[in-house]
Amino acid sequence: MSYDIQFCILEDMPVLFEAPPTKKQPSRKGNSSAQTESTTVKTGTTALTAYFMHPKDIRFETQDADEDVILFMRQHIIVLIPKLIFGICIFFVPLFLFPILAQFLLSPIEIPGGYIVIGTVFWYVAIFGFILTSFLQWFFNIFIVTNKRIIDIDFLYLLYKKFSEAQIVRIQDISFRTGGIMATMFNYGDVLIQTAGELPNFVFEKIPRPAEVVNTISDLAEKVKGKGNV
Amino acid sequence: MPENAGLVIWTGIKLIVLLGLGIYIIFAGVIVRQEQLMSKVLEADSEKVLAALSWVHFGAAAVVFILALLIL
Repeated sequence: MSYDIQFCILEDMPVLFEAPPTKKQPSRKGNSSAQTESTTVKTGTTALTAYFMHPKDIRFETQDADEDVILFMRQHIIVLIPKLIFGICIFFVPLFLFPILAQFLLSPIEIPGGYIVIGTVFWYVAIFGFILTSFLQWFFNIFIVTNKRIIDIDFLYLLYKKFSEAQIVRIQDISFRTGGIMATMFNYGDVLIQTAGELPNFVFEKIPRPAEVVNTISDLAEKVKGKGNV
Repeated sequence: MPENAGLVIWTGIKLIVLLGLGIYIIFAGVIVRQEQLMSKVLEADSEKVLAALSWVHFGAAAVVFILALLIL
Protein backbone atom coordinates (compact mmCIF):
# COMPACT_ATOMS: atom_id res chain seq x y z
CA MET A 1 0.00 0.00 0.00
CA SER A 2 2.73 2.42 0.98
CA TYR A 3 4.55 1.67 -2.26
CA ASP A 4 1.58 2.77 -4.31
CA ILE A 5 1.46 6.18 -2.59
CA GLN A 6 5.17 6.84 -3.15
CA PHE A 7 4.85 6.05 -6.81
CA CYS A 8 1.96 8.48 -7.24
CA ILE A 9 3.87 11.33 -5.61
CA LEU A 10 6.93 10.85 -7.80
CA GLU A 11 4.85 10.76 -10.91
CA ASP A 12 3.18 14.12 -10.16
CA MET A 13 6.38 16.01 -9.32
CA PRO A 14 7.89 18.30 -11.99
CA VAL A 15 11.27 17.32 -13.42
CA LEU A 16 13.90 19.61 -11.80
CA PHE A 17 17.01 17.86 -13.03
CA GLU A 18 17.44 15.35 -15.73
CA ALA A 19 20.73 13.56 -16.04
CA PRO A 20 22.31 13.88 -19.48
CA PRO A 21 22.15 10.74 -21.51
CA THR A 22 25.30 8.75 -20.87
CA LYS A 23 27.15 6.79 -23.48
CA LYS A 24 26.49 3.14 -23.21
CA GLN A 25 29.50 1.50 -21.62
CA PRO A 26 30.26 -1.80 -23.22
CA SER A 27 29.67 -4.56 -20.78
CA ARG A 28 32.18 -7.25 -20.07
CA LYS A 29 30.05 -9.50 -22.14
CA GLY A 30 30.23 -6.97 -24.96
CA ASN A 31 34.00 -6.79 -24.67
CA SER A 32 34.36 -10.47 -24.96
CA SER A 33 32.20 -10.48 -28.04
CA ALA A 34 34.35 -7.69 -29.50
CA GLN A 35 37.42 -9.72 -28.73
CA THR A 36 36.04 -12.74 -30.47
CA GLU A 37 35.11 -10.47 -33.36
CA SER A 38 38.68 -9.14 -33.59
CA THR A 39 40.04 -12.66 -33.56
CA THR A 40 37.71 -13.61 -36.36
CA VAL A 41 38.76 -10.46 -38.28
CA LYS A 42 42.33 -11.77 -38.12
CA THR A 43 41.56 -13.82 -41.19
CA GLY A 44 42.46 -10.65 -43.13
CA THR A 45 45.93 -9.36 -43.82
CA THR A 46 47.38 -5.92 -43.11
CA ALA A 47 49.88 -3.85 -45.08
CA LEU A 48 52.69 -5.26 -42.93
CA THR A 49 51.69 -8.91 -43.09
CA ALA A 50 54.60 -11.08 -44.14
CA TYR A 51 53.21 -14.52 -43.37
CA PHE A 52 49.60 -15.64 -43.34
CA MET A 53 47.93 -19.02 -43.46
CA HIS A 54 44.58 -19.24 -45.25
CA PRO A 55 44.03 -15.51 -45.87
CA LYS A 56 40.47 -14.65 -46.82
CA ASP A 57 41.06 -11.22 -48.32
CA ILE A 58 43.87 -12.06 -50.74
CA ARG A 59 43.26 -12.67 -54.41
CA PHE A 60 45.77 -12.63 -57.23
CA GLU A 61 45.61 -12.01 -60.96
CA THR A 62 45.53 -15.55 -62.33
CA GLN A 63 43.65 -17.22 -59.50
CA ASP A 64 41.13 -19.85 -60.59
CA ALA A 65 37.64 -19.94 -59.14
CA ASP A 66 38.28 -23.23 -57.34
CA GLU A 67 41.75 -22.27 -56.16
CA ASP A 68 42.33 -21.42 -52.50
CA VAL A 69 45.27 -19.49 -51.14
CA ILE A 70 46.83 -21.60 -48.41
CA LEU A 71 49.94 -19.63 -47.63
CA PHE A 72 50.71 -16.00 -48.37
CA MET A 73 54.22 -14.70 -47.80
CA ARG A 74 56.45 -11.73 -48.28
CA GLN A 75 60.01 -11.18 -47.20
CA HIS A 76 60.40 -10.65 -43.47
CA ILE A 77 59.61 -7.07 -42.50
CA ILE A 78 63.10 -6.80 -41.01
CA VAL A 79 64.57 -6.47 -44.52
CA LEU A 80 63.03 -3.00 -44.66
CA ILE A 81 64.81 -1.78 -41.52
CA PRO A 82 68.18 -0.87 -43.16
CA LYS A 83 66.38 1.21 -45.80
CA LEU A 84 64.26 2.87 -43.13
CA ILE A 85 67.36 3.70 -41.06
CA PHE A 86 69.04 5.09 -44.19
CA GLY A 87 65.95 7.20 -44.86
CA ILE A 88 65.94 8.54 -41.29
CA CYS A 89 69.66 9.34 -41.48
CA ILE A 90 69.40 11.30 -44.73
CA PHE A 91 66.31 13.06 -43.34
CA PHE A 92 68.60 14.96 -40.95
CA VAL A 93 71.31 15.72 -43.52
CA PRO A 94 70.00 19.21 -44.46
CA LEU A 95 69.91 20.20 -40.78
CA PHE A 96 73.50 19.24 -39.96
CA LEU A 97 75.52 18.73 -43.12
CA PHE A 98 74.46 21.73 -45.17
CA PRO A 99 75.57 24.39 -42.63
CA ILE A 100 78.92 22.59 -42.24
CA LEU A 101 79.37 22.43 -46.01
CA ALA A 102 78.44 26.10 -46.32
CA GLN A 103 81.20 27.00 -43.87
CA PHE A 104 83.84 25.00 -45.72
CA LEU A 105 82.83 25.89 -49.24
CA LEU A 106 83.54 29.58 -49.26
CA SER A 107 82.12 30.27 -52.66
CA PRO A 108 82.25 33.81 -54.06
CA ILE A 109 78.78 33.26 -55.56
CA GLU A 110 75.95 33.63 -53.11
CA ILE A 111 73.22 31.00 -53.58
CA PRO A 112 69.75 32.63 -53.68
CA GLY A 113 67.36 31.69 -50.88
CA GLY A 114 64.82 30.25 -53.33
CA TYR A 115 67.23 27.49 -54.35
CA ILE A 116 67.85 26.57 -50.73
CA VAL A 117 64.09 26.39 -50.07
CA ILE A 118 63.38 24.32 -53.19
CA GLY A 119 66.40 22.11 -52.54
CA THR A 120 65.31 21.39 -48.98
CA VAL A 121 61.67 20.69 -49.89
CA PHE A 122 62.74 18.46 -52.77
CA TRP A 123 65.14 16.61 -50.47
CA TYR A 124 62.26 15.58 -48.20
CA VAL A 125 59.98 14.67 -51.12
CA ALA A 126 62.77 12.50 -52.53
CA ILE A 127 63.25 10.76 -49.15
CA PHE A 128 59.51 10.09 -49.04
CA GLY A 129 59.73 8.71 -52.58
CA PHE A 130 62.68 6.48 -51.64
CA ILE A 131 60.87 5.02 -48.62
CA LEU A 132 57.64 4.62 -50.62
CA THR A 133 59.32 2.78 -53.51
CA SER A 134 61.24 0.56 -51.09
CA PHE A 135 58.01 -0.33 -49.34
CA LEU A 136 56.13 -0.92 -52.60
CA GLN A 137 58.88 -3.22 -53.82
CA TRP A 138 58.66 -5.20 -50.58
CA PHE A 139 54.85 -5.16 -50.57
CA PHE A 140 54.42 -6.54 -54.07
CA ASN A 141 57.18 -9.15 -53.97
CA ILE A 142 55.04 -12.04 -52.89
CA PHE A 143 55.05 -15.80 -52.60
CA ILE A 144 51.76 -17.66 -52.69
CA VAL A 145 51.01 -21.29 -52.10
CA THR A 146 47.59 -22.47 -53.23
CA ASN A 147 45.99 -25.89 -53.24
CA LYS A 148 47.13 -26.25 -56.87
CA ARG A 149 50.44 -24.44 -57.34
CA ILE A 150 53.15 -22.25 -55.94
CA ILE A 151 53.56 -18.72 -57.26
CA ASP A 152 56.39 -16.24 -57.05
CA ILE A 153 55.66 -12.66 -58.12
CA ASP A 154 58.63 -10.31 -58.29
CA PHE A 155 58.70 -6.64 -59.10
CA LEU A 156 62.18 -5.50 -60.01
CA TYR A 157 62.93 -1.79 -59.68
CA LEU A 158 59.18 -1.09 -59.94
CA LEU A 159 59.27 -1.46 -63.72
CA TYR A 160 59.73 -5.16 -64.40
CA LYS A 161 57.33 -7.85 -63.35
CA LYS A 162 58.27 -11.51 -63.10
CA PHE A 163 55.57 -14.11 -62.56
CA SER A 164 56.66 -17.71 -61.97
CA GLU A 165 54.47 -20.64 -61.06
CA ALA A 166 54.74 -24.39 -60.68
CA GLN A 167 52.13 -27.04 -60.07
CA ILE A 168 52.26 -28.67 -56.66
CA VAL A 169 52.55 -32.11 -58.30
CA ARG A 170 55.72 -30.94 -60.04
CA ILE A 171 57.55 -30.28 -56.77
CA GLN A 172 60.40 -32.74 -56.34
CA ASP A 173 62.48 -31.44 -53.51
CA ILE A 174 62.04 -28.74 -50.94
CA SER A 175 64.50 -27.43 -48.41
CA PHE A 176 65.34 -24.29 -46.47
CA ARG A 177 68.45 -22.51 -45.34
CA THR A 178 68.85 -19.96 -42.63
CA GLY A 179 71.92 -18.36 -41.16
CA GLY A 180 73.29 -15.24 -39.54
CA ILE A 181 72.42 -13.36 -36.41
CA MET A 182 69.39 -11.53 -37.77
CA ALA A 183 67.90 -14.60 -39.48
CA THR A 184 68.27 -16.65 -36.31
CA MET A 185 66.85 -13.93 -34.08
CA PHE A 186 63.86 -13.17 -36.27
CA ASN A 187 63.36 -16.68 -37.67
CA TYR A 188 63.55 -16.07 -41.38
CA GLY A 189 65.40 -17.78 -44.22
CA ASP A 190 65.31 -18.97 -47.82
CA VAL A 191 63.08 -21.79 -49.01
CA LEU A 192 64.37 -23.64 -52.07
CA ILE A 193 61.96 -25.63 -54.18
CA GLN A 194 63.11 -27.90 -56.97
CA THR A 195 60.61 -28.75 -59.64
CA ALA A 196 60.49 -31.47 -62.26
CA GLY A 197 61.50 -30.96 -65.87
CA GLU A 198 62.74 -27.72 -67.30
CA LEU A 199 60.77 -25.55 -64.97
CA PRO A 200 62.82 -23.04 -63.05
CA ASN A 201 63.57 -23.72 -59.41
CA PHE A 202 61.99 -21.45 -56.86
CA VAL A 203 63.75 -19.55 -54.15
CA PHE A 204 61.55 -17.80 -51.62
CA GLU A 205 64.06 -15.42 -50.11
CA LYS A 206 64.09 -14.18 -46.52
CA ILE A 207 60.63 -15.39 -45.68
CA PRO A 208 59.45 -15.81 -42.10
CA ARG A 209 59.15 -19.28 -40.51
CA PRO A 210 60.89 -21.24 -43.30
CA ALA A 211 60.56 -24.56 -41.45
CA GLU A 212 56.79 -24.17 -41.24
CA VAL A 213 56.63 -23.24 -44.91
CA VAL A 214 58.59 -26.35 -45.89
CA ASN A 215 56.31 -28.53 -43.76
CA THR A 216 53.17 -26.98 -45.21
CA ILE A 217 54.28 -27.34 -48.82
CA SER A 218 55.57 -30.90 -48.25
CA ASP A 219 52.27 -31.95 -46.67
CA LEU A 220 50.36 -30.32 -49.49
CA ALA A 221 52.53 -31.96 -52.17
CA GLU A 222 52.05 -35.38 -50.54
CA LYS A 223 48.33 -34.85 -50.34
CA VAL A 224 48.04 -33.74 -53.96
CA LYS A 225 50.28 -36.54 -55.23
CA GLY A 226 48.34 -39.05 -53.11
CA LYS A 227 45.12 -37.90 -54.71
CA GLY A 228 46.73 -38.20 -58.14
CA ASN A 229 47.82 -41.77 -57.49
CA VAL A 230 44.35 -42.81 -56.32
CA MET B 1 78.53 42.52 -69.07
CA PRO B 2 79.30 40.46 -65.90
CA GLU B 3 75.75 41.10 -64.67
CA ASN B 4 74.40 39.66 -67.93
CA ALA B 5 76.66 36.64 -67.60
CA GLY B 6 75.30 36.03 -64.07
CA LEU B 7 71.73 36.26 -65.33
CA VAL B 8 72.43 33.78 -68.11
CA ILE B 9 74.06 31.35 -65.67
CA TRP B 10 71.20 31.54 -63.18
CA THR B 11 68.64 31.15 -65.96
CA GLY B 12 70.51 28.07 -67.14
CA ILE B 13 70.60 26.67 -63.59
CA LYS B 14 66.89 27.38 -63.22
CA LEU B 15 66.12 25.49 -66.42
CA ILE B 16 68.24 22.54 -65.29
CA VAL B 17 66.48 22.50 -61.90
CA LEU B 18 63.06 22.66 -63.57
CA LEU B 19 64.05 19.88 -65.96
CA GLY B 20 65.19 17.73 -63.04
CA LEU B 21 61.97 18.36 -61.13
CA GLY B 22 59.96 17.63 -64.28
CA ILE B 23 61.72 14.27 -64.61
CA TYR B 24 60.96 13.61 -60.95
CA ILE B 25 57.24 14.27 -61.61
CA ILE B 26 57.37 11.66 -64.40
CA PHE B 27 59.04 9.25 -61.95
CA ALA B 28 56.28 9.94 -59.39
CA GLY B 29 53.68 9.31 -62.13
CA VAL B 30 55.37 6.00 -62.96
CA ILE B 31 55.10 4.99 -59.28
CA VAL B 32 51.36 5.78 -59.29
CA ARG B 33 50.81 3.81 -62.50
CA GLN B 34 52.93 0.92 -61.33
CA GLU B 35 51.04 0.79 -58.04
CA GLN B 36 47.79 0.57 -60.01
CA LEU B 37 49.18 -2.30 -62.11
CA MET B 38 50.51 -4.07 -59.05
CA SER B 39 47.19 -3.84 -57.28
CA LYS B 40 45.63 -5.73 -60.21
CA VAL B 41 48.10 -8.55 -59.65
CA LEU B 42 47.44 -8.69 -55.93
CA GLU B 43 44.06 -7.70 -54.59
CA ALA B 44 44.28 -6.80 -50.91
CA ASP B 45 42.45 -4.30 -48.73
CA SER B 46 45.57 -2.49 -47.59
CA GLU B 47 46.39 -1.30 -51.10
CA LYS B 48 44.14 1.74 -50.78
CA VAL B 49 46.59 3.29 -48.33
CA LEU B 50 49.50 2.66 -50.70
CA ALA B 51 47.56 4.12 -53.60
CA ALA B 52 46.83 7.23 -51.51
CA LEU B 53 50.50 7.53 -50.52
CA SER B 54 51.68 7.25 -54.12
CA TRP B 55 49.23 9.99 -55.11
CA VAL B 56 50.45 12.15 -52.21
CA HIS B 57 54.01 11.67 -53.46
CA PHE B 58 52.97 12.63 -56.98
CA GLY B 59 51.17 15.72 -55.64
CA ALA B 60 54.18 16.73 -53.57
CA ALA B 61 56.46 16.42 -56.62
CA ALA B 62 54.06 18.60 -58.62
CA VAL B 63 53.91 21.18 -55.81
CA VAL B 64 57.73 21.39 -55.69
CA PHE B 65 57.81 21.93 -59.46
CA ILE B 66 55.21 24.72 -59.29
CA LEU B 67 57.00 26.25 -56.31
CA ALA B 68 60.28 26.22 -58.24
CA LEU B 69 58.53 27.81 -61.20
CA LEU B 70 57.26 30.64 -58.99
CA ILE B 71 60.19 31.19 -56.62
CA LEU B 72 63.27 30.68 -58.78
